Amino acid sequence: MKITVLGIPRELLAMALNGTSGATFGVQLRVLTKRLMIRVIRRPYTELPTVLISAFFLFVYVGQLDKVFGGSAMPSSIDFSKGNFVNFILPFSIVSASISGASSGINLVEDIESGVFRRYQAMPISRWAVILAPMLVGALRVLLQSGLILGLGILIGASPATGSLGFVVILGIAFLWGMGFAGYSVAAGIRSGSAQGAQAATFLFFPALFIAPTFVPREALSGWLSSAAAFNPTTYVIEAMRGIMIDGWIYESILKGVIASGLFALITLSFAVISARKATEKN
Amino acid sequence: MLTTLLRPTNGSASILGLDVDKDDAAVRHKIGVALQENGIDEVLTGKELTQSTGQLWGLSKSKASKRSAELLSLVGLTDAANRRVKTYSGGMKRRLDLALSLIHKPEILFLDEPTTGLDPGSRRVLWNEIVRLRNEGVTIILTTQYLEEADTLADRIAIIDNGVVKVEGTPDDLKASIGGDIVMFSFETKETAERAANILKNSELIGRELRTTVENGPQSIPNLCSVLRDNKIEVVSVSSSRPTLDDVFLKVTGHKLETVKANENNSIGDPTRASSDGA
Repeated sequence: MKITVLGIPRELLAMALNGTSGATFGVQLRVLTKRLMIRVIRRPYTELPTVLISAFFLFVYVGQLDKVFGGSAMPSSIDFSKGNFVNFILPFSIVSASISGASSGINLVEDIESGVFRRYQAMPISRWAVILAPMLVGALRVLLQSGLILGLGILIGASPATGSLGFVVILGIAFLWGMGFAGYSVAAGIRSGSAQGAQAATFLFFPALFIAPTFVPREALSGWLSSAAAFNPTTYVIEAMRGIMIDGWIYESILKGVIASGLFALITLSFAVISARKATEKN
Repeated sequence: MLTTLLRPTNGSASILGLDVDKDDAAVRHKIGVALQENGIDEVLTGKELTQSTGQLWGLSKSKASKRSAELLSLVGLTDAANRRVKTYSGGMKRRLDLALSLIHKPEILFLDEPTTGLDPGSRRVLWNEIVRLRNEGVTIILTTQYLEEADTLADRIAIIDNGVVKVEGTPDDLKASIGGDIVMFSFETKETAERAANILKNSELIGRELRTTVENGPQSIPNLCSVLRDNKIEVVSVSSSRPTLDDVFLKVTGHKLETVKANENNSIGDPTRASSDGA
């Protein structure tokens, strides 16, 4: 019997993934990811700015908007946070932590500049593993930062309608979302070949964050912004997390969030691999 | 190109019967490439680096660990195994690079100017290592700017000038191709040297010095000197030497010593092949 995955014969898939003999894809991915993690752990201060930025967003928005949209809005039409504005704004802070996924692109550019990338090319290593490893590290980084932000949120009064299991699901979505953002920055890093290029690409981050139901629900956005937000995957990620925090288990919104972040990750991964193929083409 | 990192512009090449373009993945298993300490993650330790590279080549964790210890002791880095590569000296990094290129026991090893920029001590250590590998039967293709290095290490030498193989053979063959010994005269002034150059045929003028090739240096020096004395040309010093690869290089490339010195990046390639199985 011929075993196929998504219509591709298994041996062919194994060959594409593993790059002929040598280590299996899983081992490659693990070794490459571990190496990048060691790099991150040994240079912890480079991680600090993004954690601080996300924490800053959380405190500043709570400080500015809590009196308008928080408990005092209870009986009115702007009572979309159901009395707890921290619950409402926390998903935004978590999503903003995804900017730390952009370090993945810079990690990869470092590897291109130091020649590590080229050395991998001369070894039987799958290109997918070389690209996926920094994305995984980016996602882990976002996960860690989201965890820290969640902790901070709990300290200032966040309490999800779904209980602590809700936090786990939120972190899962954050992981996928972080992976997507990391893939995007990896692709940008490969395409530009410079740390500045990878950094500049993070500008996409701002429209992604703000052409979305950032401070108010989508229904409250004005016409054009509401239409534009419908095309922004961030919208569904934020809405899924908000549902978990405020309304409880609303599977439709959670599913949309998972699909939006998963698709984003898949697309950026493919885009990064295609970019890598172009960049490493023999000439 | 032979290391499968570049695609041939035209024509084809094969290593151990495998086409470097079509079978590049298979070729990579047979060859090891040292890239002048490029591509070494300096945040990792020597041990971590060799171990992870072993695993990427498909060794199990315990085998990779064993191979790492083996190679680090081979290149004399056991004491530095747990230090980050950032703290290594240039020579240590080259040795680590060599260890990394040996992890999967390649049959052919490509070394790109392995000792460029190293102090004489480190160079000697690396040379010993290369000779040891050669004696184990590894075919080594080495490029170098140092002709002395090629002379010491190589069984066969090819001199490449502007991308073309000018000459190929064993060091002794190449030296013999000079056809005798080199006799070098030096004179008080340039003019004297020029006059002498007109008298001695087959001689080459280099500033105030004149070099000529004769069958037997020590025997012909008295003769040559007396010819010059008869023409009232005073010789400051004279010496005879066996030809070196420098002489071969100058002869086949047609470069004067001055231009070689002025142009350090001249494409002096010396692929030298050790062992007898050939590439």
